[in-house]
Amino acid sequence: MSPHRPSEPDPLRGSIDLLVLKALSLEPMHGWGIGARIQQMSRGRLDVNQGSLYPALQRLEHRGDIESAWQTTENNRRARYYTLTARGRRELGHQLEKWKRFTQAISLIVEG
Amino acid sequence: MSAWKGLLARARSILRPGDAEARLDEEFRFHVETQTEHLIREGVPPAEARRQALLAFGAVEGHREAMRDERGARYLDDLRADVRYALKSIRRHPGFILAATLTLGLGIGVNGIVFGYVNSILFRPVPAHAPGELAALFTRDTRTGATGAVGYDDFVDFRDRSGAFAGLAAMTGTPVNLMVPQGAGNAIGDMVWAEIVTEDFFSVLGTRPAIGRFFTAADAPQGGNPFVVLSYLTWQRRFQGDPQVLGRSVRINGREFVVTGVAPPGFRGMRRLGFWPEVWMPIGMQPIVQPGAPNLLHGRGGGPLLVVGRLRPGADLDGTQVMAAEFARQLEAAYPRSNAHVGVRVLAAAVGFENPSIIKPQILVLSSALGIFGSLIVLAIICANLAVLQLARTASRAREIAIRLSLGCSRGRLARQLFVESLMMSAPGVALGAVMMRLASPLEPYFTPKLAFQVGLAPTADARVMLFTGAIAVAAVMVFGLIPAVRAGRFGLGTHAASALGAGRSDVQRPSRTRSVLVASQLALAVMPLIAASLFVRSLSMADTVNLGFEPRDRVMVSMNVGLQGYDQARGLRFYEEVLRRTRMLPGVVAASFSYPAPFDTNDRAVRLYVEGRANSSDGTVGAQGTFVADDFIPALGLRLQAGRDFTPGDDADAPLAMVVSESLASRLWPGKSPVGQRARYGGASGPEVSVIGVVGDAKFAVIGEVSTTRAYLPLRQRYRDWETLVVHTRDTPASTLAALREVIAGIDPSLPPFGALTMEQAVTNGFFSSRMAVAIASFFGLLALLIASVGLYAVVARSVVERTQEMGVRIALGLTPRGVLAHLMRDGARLGLIGLAFGLAGGLGLARAMAGVLPGVSPADPLTFTVVPAALIVVVAIATFVPARRAARLDAAAALRTE
Repeated sequence: MSPHRPSEPDPLRGSIDLLVLKALSLEPMHGWGIGARIQQMSRGRLDVNQGSLYPALQRLEHRGDIESAWQTTENNRRARYYTLTARGRRELGHQLEKWKRFTQAISLIVEG
Repeated sequence: MSAWKGLLARARSILRPGDAEARLDEEFRFHVETQTEHLIREGVPPAEARRQALLAFGAVEGHREAMRDERGARYLDDLRADVRYALKSIRRHPGFILAATLTLGLGIGVNGIVFGYVNSILFRPVPAHAPGELAALFTRDTRTGATGAVGYDDFVDFRDRSGAFAGLAAMTGTPVNLMVPQGAGNAIGDMVWAEIVTEDFFSVLGTRPAIGRFFTAADAPQGGNPFVVLSYLTWQRRFQGDPQVLGRSVRINGREFVVTGVAPPGFRGMRRLGFWPEVWMPIGMQPIVQPGAPNLLHGRGGGPLLVVGRLRPGADLDGTQVMAAEFARQLEAAYPRSNAHVGVRVLAAAVGFENPSIIKPQILVLSSALGIFGSLIVLAIICANLAVLQLARTASRAREIAIRLSLGCSRGRLARQLFVESLMMSAPGVALGAVMMRLASPLEPYFTPKLAFQVGLAPTADARVMLFTGAIAVAAVMVFGLIPAVRAGRFGLGTHAASALGAGRSDVQRPSRTRSVLVASQLALAVMPLIAASLFVRSLSMADTVNLGFEPRDRVMVSMNVGLQGYDQARGLRFYEEVLRRTRMLPGVVAASFSYPAPFDTNDRAVRLYVEGRANSSDGTVGAQGTFVADDFIPALGLRLQAGRDFTPGDDADAPLAMVVSESLASRLWPGKSPVGQRARYGGASGPEVSVIGVVGDAKFAVIGEVSTTRAYLPLRQRYRDWETLVVHTRDTPASTLAALREVIAGIDPSLPPFGALTMEQAVTNGFFSSRMAVAIASFFGLLALLIASVGLYAVVARSVVERTQEMGVRIALGLTPRGVLAHLMRDGARLGLIGLAFGLAGGLGLARAMAGVLPGVSPADPLTFTVVPAALIVVVAIATFVPARRAARLDAAAALRTE
């Protein structure tokens, strides 16, 4: 039998989904680009582990939040581009909302 | 939409794991390369950049594993393991699989077939537009409640003046002579079943023709509309599906009719049961279609018409019933002489209809429910047997299961594995059932009686039947699969594991009472159809040697119905005489005559004879079968004259009434006296007097249902019939004789179709058709029941073997020989077998007595049957108990004890 695996999404899992959705909300992008964009948007403070990025992309795609297609990059290479779906956009809204409530609550405690 | 796409993406990656892996490889490679280039652009040396990129990407394999889990690949891997495991188990137990496949397949198939018939009786709508809006209209006697058909004038009033229906049509059935021109002046004909319908019949139903168009009321005035619509089957059979058939003319009862269209496949009119119509004609042509019959186009207060209507938009049956009843009261007031106490009854007609006073709808529903119930019980017993068998196998694996549980295998996982195993074991059975279900329609002709016209229910495997059978199959597989899986889930750890390891220590030692009763009754139920089948076989083999009483060799017959051609009696008799004159001149012909009924056709006519002092019925008469024959019938039919003489042309209307009687009738009416010259009266004490001029040996004109051979032969010239069969004794071949006979008939009336042409030997074979069919059905169900019962018996013994392993170990250790073990374990099975056999034989004997009437030549207590069937059953019981018991007998005492 397989060892026990958590079925509830842990906080990190939750936030990487949010980061990916946010990064894709501007324009479709491939895996490397998503990682690069998150790094850039966080001004270099967040370096997403590829070990969580790709499973997250697959998970989001299976959930229907994003879809993927093979396209050619600007320097003529084949890459898998991910696009936010309508459902993904709604999901991003929900997650942002939740995230804001969460950080506000934390701030209230930490700064209060 | 995007949720759906996500599901698709997931399904793709599960179904084609290779593709998913390859895409992942490419995606990862792209990532590493892009990262390398990125680093190079930032000034890192290429080799170092690649090393860093790979490092940052981490162990690629780790990601892959995580993603495979995410995809549900683990689930799939487990499933694959289960399937592999099940396949291994299947290979190890081919006998079990065979039993499961055969019993499940037959059980599911029988359910599908039975429901196929039930569907065509109760649920399948007629192929009409919006069949739910169709309703039947019957008259209803307001005193007795009896329903009846409608008269034409009442029908017209209901249609035109009641306002209760959006449209109303009427119909009635009738045989007709159909001649289909074949070109070059030739024609092939037959007597076929027809429906004459009101001109708007098809437009009320909203049925679409397969080709051409339907006749309508606007085509031509009534009586000037000789149009005909063919049934789809008739178009295929008699016109080879020729699309050029439209506009062609055919002869019906000697008159030309023009084909306007072909009805859609499966359209057989609005009647649920009854003959399948081959053609439809406008009711305006009735005087030609039914010559000499009363004119259909008038009449009130009841009549011959079945009426079907379409409800007004938005109206329901109850509202329509109220409106129609109100209108019926108006008719009653307007026509008190004909319509007193004539109400109406409106009935749903979506699936077709019959007069409810003749065919009770409750009986159809009840017999359908019984059929479904019976076949479901059969399937439930099959599932119970298989589940017990599977449980026995599970119990024998209890040790393995307990070990796996203690090694951390989850119970759910274990149950799933057993469930997958059951699913795979039942898959071939389900497939067999699906094939069997489709046999309902092609097999139907073998089960329907051979009547003058085609009958049947034409079961089709439509969506409803598929759904029902599919649901039955799923339920069966669930029952069969889940019981063992749930039971296996109960094997626990710790103390439970210990008891599971020592399987059955605290269990009852004998097979459970319920299970025993079940198996014994299965055996009993298997015995009865086997006895029936055996008796049928014996009766048939007797029939081969039984004396028919007439000589069927070198004889051909062909029938004709001159009444439909509009012949009156004088013309009919002249026609018969001319046919006989020309036939007797044909080369090879030894004798020729007419007969109705002919031996082994399906018609029969009773005559009642009155003889002073011999009466035994309320009206003082004795009943006998009547046969209406021409002169010289004794040599033509191959009967044996025992006394007196044959009919001659002189026995005509001017001569004294004469008859020839069979030996049995003679001894029935005049026991101990010489019959020739004796007198009787037709119908009763005041009927016309008829004298016996001859006696012939008893002859069998039918097999089933004919208990008496009391038969009176009456001369055609004195007792005219307009439907006769020409019987010819010939030395020529049947084919050329029949061709010559057709020419003879065509030479006299080219528009009269001869029908039912065959040799007398074929007629005899057809006569035994129902018996042979009964043998096939009884054998099939007997063997099916025996198979089910033996699987059940095997399961019970196998289970008790598993449960008593330790006990046997102890007994072996104490000196019981393997032979002793075998005997010990087989005793229970044998006991069940004998109990089942005893009850089955008792039931079989009762059944045999009840069937005595249809089993000529065999005693209900036929010694051969009551030896062979029990012997066969004992062999089956012995095998079903020996095989599982032998396994226990081979036990090593030490190993058996160690199962503790």
